[in-house]
Amino acid sequence: MIDPLRLLGYFLWIFKEIVSGTLSMTTALFTPRGYSRPMIVQVPLRCTTDLEITMFASSITITPGTLVVAIAAGDEADDPPTLFVHVLFADSEADALDGLYDMETRLLTAMRRRPPKPVADAILRGAQGTQEGETA
Amino acid sequence: MLIVDVLIAVFVLTGALLMVTSALAMFRAKDALSRINVFSPATGLGMPLVLLGCYIYTLQHEGFSVYRLLIAIVGFLSFIIVSSIASNTLSRSTVLAGSPVHRYTRPNRLVEPLRLADDGDETPATPETDPQG
Repeated sequence: MIDPLRLLGYFLWIFKEIVSGTLSMTTALFTPRGYSRPMIVQVPLRCTTDLEITMFASSITITPGTLVVAIAAGDEADDPPTLFVHVLFADSEADALDGLYDMETRLLTAMRRRPPKPVADAILRGAQGTQEGETA
Repeated sequence: MLIVDVLIAVFVLTGALLMVTSALAMFRAKDALSRINVFSPATGLGMPLVLLGCYIYTLQHEGFSVYRLLIAIVGFLSFIIVSSIASNTLSRSTVLAGSPVHRYTRPNRLVEPLRLADDGDETPATPETDPQG
């Protein structure tokens, strides 16, 4: 089931993310209004087991700039389990979701030995649509 | 000898600087959630770096021992795991306690859930408790 080599690669990648997140946090410290664009995004998950969800939530929180604030349980039929993530340094909601889903893809590839299904288009377009509606 | 000393200094001082950075960032962040968020460089990178520096210092002065290596590894892993889970718990209790979020938090999906593009009338999952209620 679990691919140990890929999992090791995933941990190294997380370390790289921690370092780059720390750098962006340090630059924000010397930028006027560096911490003024927080957002809370909704991330419907492709993770299914408790272990996958826990590891994904922990990976998000350990990365500087992203923080899990709430978890909604999914029902077996329609709604997937959902994370609500507080993001500090993202340009837009779609940008934030891209980064989070990239991390999820890497984790699930390591945990299942095969890449997961691509993210439902409706989610990404939903994020984009509301954003445009808000700015207009 | 000298190179090892420099290495130790670099690790410990970088770790300490990261703690200072996080503390300053906590002053500049606007709301409780952002403060918890900017805290993670200190716990996720700063503390393990200090521990690494201390371990190399012990290695240099007292020689290698399996016991100390084990302690160092357990400490390192504990910092990573505990800091992540503690941050999760802190943020969760902050939201449940109804602490206000910064007014520029946009979008705030806890208040207005994401509408899926295709089927507009189907509302996706909401958190099990209403943070505003």
